[in-house]
Parts: sequence; structure tokens; C-alpha cells
Amino acid sequence: MNVVYTDVLVIGGGLAGLRMAIGAKRRGHAAIILSLVPAKRSHSKAAQGGMQASLGNVIKGQGDNEDVHFEDTVRGSDWGADQDVVRMFVNTAPKAVRELAAWGVPWSRVRRGDRDVIINGQKVTITERDEAHGTVAQRDFGGTKKWRTCYVSDGTGHAMINTVADRAIAEAIPVHERTEALALIHDGGRCYGAIVRDLVTGALVAYVAKATAIATGGAGRLYRVTTNAVICEGMGHAIALETGVAALGNMEAVQFHPTGIFPAGILVTEGCRGDGGLLKDVDGHRFMPDYEPEKKELASRDVVSRRMEEHIHKGKGVKSRFGEHIWLDITLLGEHHIKHNLREVYEICHYFLGLDPTKEMIPVRPAQHYTMGGVRTDYTGESPTLKGLFAAGEAACWDMHGFNRLGGNSVAETVVAGMIVGEFIGDFCDRPENAAAVPMGLVREFLDRERAKLDAMLSGKGAEDATALRVAMQEIMTAQVGIFRIGGDLERAVDSLQKLLVRSRNIGLRYRARGANPELVAGYRVQKMLKVAVAIAYGALTRTESRGAHSRQDFPRRNDAEWLRRTLATWKSENDTLPTLAYEPLDVRKMELPPGWRGYGSKDYVDHPDTPGRVAEVDAIRKQAGLDRFALQAKLMPYEHLLPARFRGQNERIDERFPQAVAKRAAS
Amino acid sequence: MTNGEHRKLKISCLRYNPQEPGAAPRMQTYELEEADGMTLFIALNEIREKQDASLQFDFVCRAGICGSCAMMINGRPGLACRTQTKDLPASFTLAPLPVFELIADLSVNTGKWMRAMSERLQTWVHMKSAEVDLKRIEERMEPELAEEIYLLDRCIECGCCVAGCGSARMREDFIGAVGINKIARFRLDPRDARTDGDYYEVIGDDSGVFGCMSLLACHDVCPKDLPLQTQLAFIRRKMAALGWK
Amino acid sequence: MQTGAEVIAGVGLADRPRKSRWPARMDLTQSLSGLVLALFMWGHMFFVSSILVSKDFMWAITKMFEGYFFFGRAFPGIVSMVVFGVLVIFVLHAFLAMRKFPANYRQYRMFIGHKNLLKHGDTTLWWVQFVTGFALFFLATVHLYQMLMHPGDIGPFESADRVWTGRWWPLYLVALFCVELHGGIGLYRLAVKWGWLEGKDADASRKRLKAAKWVVTAFFLVLGVTTLAAYMKIGYDRRDDPGGRYTPAWLVNPPQAPPPWWWPSWMRETPK
Repeated sequence: MNVVYTDVLVIGGGLAGLRMAIGAKRRGHAAIILSLVPAKRSHSKAAQGGMQASLGNVIKGQGDNEDVHFEDTVRGSDWGADQDVVRMFVNTAPKAVRELAAWGVPWSRVRRGDRDVIINGQKVTITERDEAHGTVAQRDFGGTKKWRTCYVSDGTGHAMINTVADRAIAEAIPVHERTEALALIHDGGRCYGAIVRDLVTGALVAYVAKATAIATGGAGRLYRVTTNAVICEGMGHAIALETGVAALGNMEAVQFHPTGIFPAGILVTEGCRGDGGLLKDVDGHRFMPDYEPEKKELASRDVVSRRMEEHIHKGKGVKSRFGEHIWLDITLLGEHHIKHNLREVYEICHYFLGLDPTKEMIPVRPAQHYTMGGVRTDYTGESPTLKGLFAAGEAACWDMHGFNRLGGNSVAETVVAGMIVGEFIGDFCDRPENAAAVPMGLVREFLDRERAKLDAMLSGKGAEDATALRVAMQEIMTAQVGIFRIGGDLERAVDSLQKLLVRSRNIGLRYRARGANPELVAGYRVQKMLKVAVAIAYGALTRTESRGAHSRQDFPRRNDAEWLRRTLATWKSENDTLPTLAYEPLDVRKMELPPGWRGYGSKDYVDHPDTPGRVAEVDAIRKQAGLDRFALQAKLMPYEHLLPARFRGQNERIDERFPQAVAKRAAS
Repeated sequence: MTNGEHRKLKISCLRYNPQEPGAAPRMQTYELEEADGMTLFIALNEIREKQDASLQFDFVCRAGICGSCAMMINGRPGLACRTQTKDLPASFTLAPLPVFELIADLSVNTGKWMRAMSERLQTWVHMKSAEVDLKRIEERMEPELAEEIYLLDRCIECGCCVAGCGSARMREDFIGAVGINKIARFRLDPRDARTDGDYYEVIGDDSGVFGCMSLLACHDVCPKDLPLQTQLAFIRRKMAALGWK
Repeated sequence: MQTGAEVIAGVGLADRPRKSRWPARMDLTQSLSGLVLALFMWGHMFFVSSILVSKDFMWAITKMFEGYFFFGRAFPGIVSMVVFGVLVIFVLHAFLAMRKFPANYRQYRMFIGHKNLLKHGDTTLWWVQFVTGFALFFLATVHLYQMLMHPGDIGPFESADRVWTGRWWPLYLVALFCVELHGGIGLYRLAVKWGWLEGKDADASRKRLKAAKWVVTAFFLVLGVTTLAAYMKIGYDRRDDPGGRYTPAWLVNPPQAPPPWWWPSWMRETPK
């Protein structure tokens, strides 16, 4: 039996996984990262526009702080988020940017003096402060009150993962590239690691660990049209689901990004609109102000995507050989801006569309972009039902995004959750009771089980074609579990997906090599993907309301009275074709920001019975005299005790100088 | 190309799986009909899905930003995902990148090579102090400098420069333009405490910067248009100057 | 507070042996020796091509190098010394450049395959440089040895007789192409290697440098071939009676032929 022992096993070599491993390693625990691809090729790299952190350095970000970021995030989530976690997140995000700044991320910086920007289609001159010169700059993004998105040109994720992956190399953390976790080893209550397949040799190895962390990113490839990389197949979701113990939270919450290039679905950043780009229809008319007079192109992504589809349905889309699309016009930003701050966009347009975005408009249409749902964890990042299993980043439902994630909050979540969960993993491994002996019989049992499954597929007489099943699934998900959802479609989708799932148990292979074998990989992955797809479709069918990115045409209202709760899906038996759903209520009485109107999108919603009471309570606390914003926040919803000690504390800003800094400046 | 009339593409791929006992490298030709906007990403996936399930290749982002899919396209290193078939003749060849360890067919282990390069050159910021006060305002940096660093940091470690490099083909320990560019990037970064003497320790020999013969294919094939020519010359000047210090 | 990179985890910059500085010195020396040789060859070509102006002119250039105009008489030993200096630089350059040559058959095959597959201009040019450089090991050495040992045998007739009657012209013809290609490519490569004349747009200046390189190479090849032809012609005409030394007519017999205008006035006297 081939066994590798470590303290911490991190599955996934993207930003969240790398940062968790670094955190654990710095706490003195050996960590190994498993990654399908070299770490720097992870999908984190594709984050273009930036990372939200309320530094408030730029003049348009003046007055920004954790409170504003908190409110934007909760509103963006359509009150689906865990507000404690959002608080932990917004307080750590500035620290994350500053840590990365020290590690080497070449954040774009503020330049003092006048500069021309495009706001609402108009050229405006703004003046950056002298004292902000050289600090990390922010740009505008959808769904935010202030300019808060810190960025590195439009290669933010690229620069971040370069730095963090290099940091992991500096700390001598091994990354086992081209390996794939097929199953989590567990006894129904405690997770002990994973059964891992070497994608080059085909060897199966048991990785045994005190703590196992899933950081495998999203599941975009369940859809036909997605901005996600081809490795984003939801395998982390699937292996957690297959334990039958760990739950997936809110899988029906799937985000569609407004600007995937048409038809390939490759992302062009929200920074295009944040920097002043406009959406136009077949007549060249800028239509977003007609629908969203306040935030226009910069409403949250779920809202903009729906408005675009709505506008296309009205016959205002641009017809092309491949179907209909909308125009994204960034020509007004000027050549210099595009070639310096939107460089990747320029390259993508050049190589994939053969057009010059400084002169021509870009064809775009919403494409699947982000999986808000994931492995349900508590605020420490650990599964409440499977001890020793952690998750962070897109693969997790830590739940700071609820039913819609704000642009710039995902790449922020990867590093922030990586920092926080990394510390909690350190705590977990420090506790002597968690060093308990690993039941080797169990490890062997799991290894044998996975080997038998592969053997069956390799030697079996199955007749089903894995690729055909995957294509069918992707079509169903895109057509029936997409931006707009309706009961009948969803029923059909759940039904067809179940049938596909049953068929997937009878996959046959043309190529039967045990080692590197793309068909074998496609085979076992589609079996897992279908389970996740069913979990999404079934969750969407069951949730009879519209919230954030989950938009039911037959139930257009947000219904807090019935649905202010998180969907939890578990897969009880290998023979099931549907997950078992349970619901975890969100407690309005503890919310710092009780449910209300988001400030954009539909104003029509049903209140939770506790909402008016909590609103009155919150208003009363807010009216108390003499409380600064920190004291007020602590009264509304104390959270700081939840943070690991090293990440507690206020964040300094130009407008919120620490006393010693003020004193030092006065002295000099 | 008018609607409905598409070329018949003949794609010759190098086939070789070192894992298979007794296997020998050979070329295999696949025929398929071109489609509008077809990239090699689309073409290769179509071949694998419809003709040959065993064909191995690597794609991740399929958007030209992750560097996974570099291969020899008609003899020149390039990113397959953003190469359109319409820019190629009807018959063309695909081969794995040389220099790197071959996994199978068009798939090579660039990750292993790059990790070794990073460890050898210590491609991380060697901070001036180990702990940073995360609560305090970040250290300032001139906006122009940040952009300059980013320009060099845009490297996607795809391996094209190494595959295109005559020196690397002859001498396997040559660090390649990717490595020298990394040194240029960290040297530019004021957060890195290292001096030229420190950089000399890792690249000051014939497998480092002095092994470069200035053939500049690296510069010419770099998919990210990095200013490799300038950086190679710059680092060479800086390192050569140390010969007399 | 501790400063310096040695405090960072996983890094040990302090207390390690310092890496040899020789690779740096050798690299720069290779470039500088190449530069000197290339510039020397430009001068050399201009000097030998003086035959195209007139025999007298070529004779005067020769005498100048023999110190005739400085000492009042010729010292061919000066030429020997210059040749010796060039030979030393040449051997040094060859020794250093050899580090870049394919060291074994595998490397040799690798590079040829690479060059043929890549079809990349500068890569192919390097191969040209390698082949011509290799050839010059022998061609240039033979020539240099001859000049070292017989420095006095340079002159309109002396050189022409060597070229034709001495059957040196095939060697000179091949060497000419080798030198001009090798030196031209070498100078271009030096410029891009060290970033000289790069300006703001490195791509554009590289294009210009390359164009200039071809112009210069073509110019020197034309000049060289014409010059060689001139010596061959003179040698051919003298094939039946080779071996004499050239002396300008006015020097032999001043009254009939006054010295030309460029003849220094302080040397109006017939040299002894």
C-alpha cells in the first residue's frame, strides 16, 4: 500500500490552497498541496479585474471602510451571506492586500494629481491626494459604493498567484502536480486524507493527514458556456458530496458574468465597465440606464446579466452567425488606458475575436462564471459534519457570497479565507486529540474501493460514452438551469440529469491504458460532475423564490419569510440519484444588516417575520450617541473574537491614521 | 472562407507515450473539417472526442493566460489555445515542446522544470524584514515602477522561450530567458533585499546569463511579448560588471 | 533590527562561497576581442583595398605600417608585432568562443534539428557564425602565420604575387566570405547582446541594426572581391616574372616623376 503522511493535505493549488498551506506551514505543520496542474496555471490566474479591500486610497474611495464593504457584500449576496463571515472577511481583506504587497505583488499605485476617468459615459477629471501617492490604487467595480477594487493592471489574479506560488516555493512546500484526489478517506465523522491518482502514471496513493482542505475552485464546466478554465469541474465539491456526510451549501447559487466574449465565453473583466465601458444593443443604444437608473452598468452581476438577457429577449440583441449578443463598448476609454490597464482584454480581443477594442466594440453575452455554493463550512472553514475536513475559496460555502458574489470579492476571498482558515487548520493540528492514530484498515478499504471503481471502468463492457454524457449535461445546465429558471424546465432538468447519472454508471472506454488516459479521467469525472449538477438543479427546483443569482420566473420575489435559509445537500447513498436536501435558517435577529432592498434590481420582496423587529433594534443602537463606528459595530454584531488573533485589529487608512503615525508626522 | 465551405485540415501530431512499454515516437495524421473561429483548443478536443480518445495534450484556461498549452506548431513554439487554424496551412504539424520532460504526445512537464528553475534562482521577494505589520498602510511605490515590475511579471512560464532557445536545446542546464527575466523582475523590485552580488550567485555562469548566445528566438516567440531582448542585455551588463568587482 | 535577506525563511544568502567571477570576465572578453577583431578587419579591408586607388597608394599604406614615415626607413618587424597582437587576440577569441560550440555529436544534432525546424533568422545566423568561425580557425591562422614570418612581403607586387603565383587566392576568397559574414553577424549580435544602440523601441532598433548589418556585409564583400580580383590581375600579369619588389617610379627616379601631393615635405629626400 502506497501511503504518504503529512499534517495538512491541501487539495487544489490555486490561491486559496497555496495560502492555506503557507499558513499551516508557518504554524509548524507539514503541508502538501495536490494540484491537477502546476500551481501557477490554476484558475486563480484568470481573475483579471481585481480584489476588493477597503483601503480607500484613491479619492473615489475616500470614506471607504470595512462597514461600507460589509454592506455592499451583504446586499450583493441578497442577504444570503453569513454576516459574521463577511465581517471577518472585510476586516482581513486590507491585511491581505498589504501582506501581498510585502510579498511582491506589483499592485497598481496611486499617482498624485489630476487624471481623466470615464464615469457614466462622461470624461471627468479627478485629483488624487498627495498623501495617497504611491499607495495601492483602487478601481470601480459593480455593486460597490466606493472605488474599492485593488488591481494589477488587468492581470490581478496572475500577479497574485505568481507571488503566492513563489512564496510557497520559498517556504519549501511541495506541490504534487498532476495529481487528483478521487475520494476523501473518512469514517463518517472524521476525515483522514484522500485517495489520490497520479495523472501521469495512474498510480493510486493514499495521502493521510490530520487536516484535509479542499480548495479546488468552481464547477463552471458543468455548463456549456462558461468563463471557467477546463479544470473547473467541481471535483472538490463532488468528493465532499460523495462522503455522504459533508454537505454542499447553496449549490443553486450560480453566477453568470455579464461579459463573456461571444461565443467562446472567455472572460473580459468587469474592470471594463468599472473603468467606464458601456453596454450597447443592436441600435448602439446604451440600455442599462433604462433598467437600472442608479447603478447602470455597475449593478451587481446577477442583475446586469439578467437585464442583458431580458433586453435580448425583447429583440434588441445583435444577431450573428452563432446567435445573439450585446456589445461592450470600451473605445471611449482611449487607446492608452486599454493598452495599459486592460492589456489582457486587448490581447483576448486580438487573438480570439480578431478585433481591436480600442476601435471596435466587443461582442459579449453572459456566461457561467462562479459557483457561490460549495462545501459547507463554519466560520473556521471546517465542515460542521465531517471533522478534519476544511474548505476555502470558491469550492467552499464559508458563505460570504450568499446568492450573488460581488466582482472582486472572489479573488479576495481566496487569500483572505486562505489566511484565516490556514490559522484555524494550524489550531486544529496543534490540538493533541487531533493527532489520533489513523485507522489503516480504513485507508486500505478506501484505496481498494477506488481501485475497484477504476478497474471496473477500465475492464468493463460499459456502452456509454463519457463525452456524450458530459455534453448532454452541459446542454441541460445551460438551457434549463441558467440565468432565468422556471419550474417546468427545472423538473425536466432534474429528471434528465438523473437519467444521465444512471447511464454514467455504465461508461465504456475505447482507450484502456491505466496510466495517463484522458478518456478514463473524463469517465470518472463525469460521474462526479453529474452528482454536483443534480445538486444544483434540484436545489434550484426546490427553492421557490428568486434570490441573487437564483432567478425563478415563476417565483420572481425574494421570499425571506420562507427562504432565508441555506440549502444543504448531502448524498446519502451511492445508489441515490438525488441529493438529500436540508435547510439551515439564517438568524435575522443576529444580523448587523437586516434584510431590505439591495439598492438595485427588484424592490419586491417578502419580509421575514423577524425583520421589522431587528430593523427597529438596529436603528435604536445606531441612534445611541457617542459611539464610534467600531463600538457601534461591536454592539450590533460582535465578531472580532471569531478571527484568529493575528488578524484582529483595525486597519490604518490615510483618513484613519493610527495615533502613533499622526504623532510621528506631527513631530517631523 | 464562405459559409458552409470549410477546409479539410490535416493535422499531424507526434504520438509517443513513454509509459507504454515498447512504444516509439511516430507521427499520426488526423483529418477534420475546419470551423469558423476554430482554435487548436477546439480542433484537438474534437479529435480526442470523436477520433482518438488516447491523444494527450494540456489545456487549462483556453484564454492565453495560463501557459499550459504551449507546443510546437509547425515547428514554432506557441500557445495552442489562441492559435486559430485559419492562420495555418491546411496541413500542419503539432509536436511537444522540446527540452521539457515528455509526459505523452503533446503534453510536457513544464511545471516540474519551472519549479526547479524557481528553486534554483530563488524567484521570490527576499523581504527586508520577515514580519510585516498588516494593519499599517502599505509601503509606497512609484506607480511607474509598479507597472514596470508588472510588465516583467506577466510571464506565464509557458516554456516557449526555452523551447525556442538554441542554447537550451544544446545545454539542458541553461536557465533560459524565463529565468533571466525573473531575475530582472526581482532586481527591479525595491522590496527585494538582494544585491547584484546575490543575483550573480545564481545566474553568473555559463548555465546562467553568460550561457545566452543572444539568438533572441525567445524574444520573437514569447506569446506575452515580454521585452526579453532588453532584459537579457540589461542583466548581462549588470552581471558582467561584477567581473571586475 | 536584523536586516538583509538572510532573515527570511528558506533562504540562506549569508556565509556561502562566492561564485567565481571568471565567467563574467570571459563573457565580456569574448565580446571585446570579437569587437577588436571585427573593427581591425574593417580597417584591414580598407587598407588592402587601397590597391583599387593605385599601386602607389597601396605601397604608401604598407610603408606607413612599416614606420617608414616616422623613422625614415621601413621596419617590417612592426607589422610582425601587430600581427602577433592580432594573433593573440584571435586565439583568445577562438578559445572563448569555443565554449559556445556544440561540444558533442548530440548537441550538434540538437542544434541542427532546432535550426531547421524553427526557421528563425538569428538562430540560423548563429549557425553561419559557428561554421565561419570554425573555418577561420584554420584560414586565419595560416594567413596570420605567413604575415608574422614574412611581414616585408606586403606591397602591390609582393601581395599580388603571393595571391596569384603563390596560389593564396582560393584561401583568401573563402576567408573573405567567412570573415565578412562572421564579423558582420558578430557585430550585430554584440549590439543586441549588450543592448547597445537599443533606443526606446528595441524591436525597431534591432530591425535597423540587422538591415545595417547586411548593408555593411554586402559592402565589404563587394569591396573584398574587387580587391582580390585586382591583386589577382596584377599577379596574373606578372606570372612570368614574379618576385620583385614594388617601388614607386618617382622614388626610383625623382626628376621624371615628382612625388604625389600627399608625400610629406620633410621626406623629400630619397630614403637611404
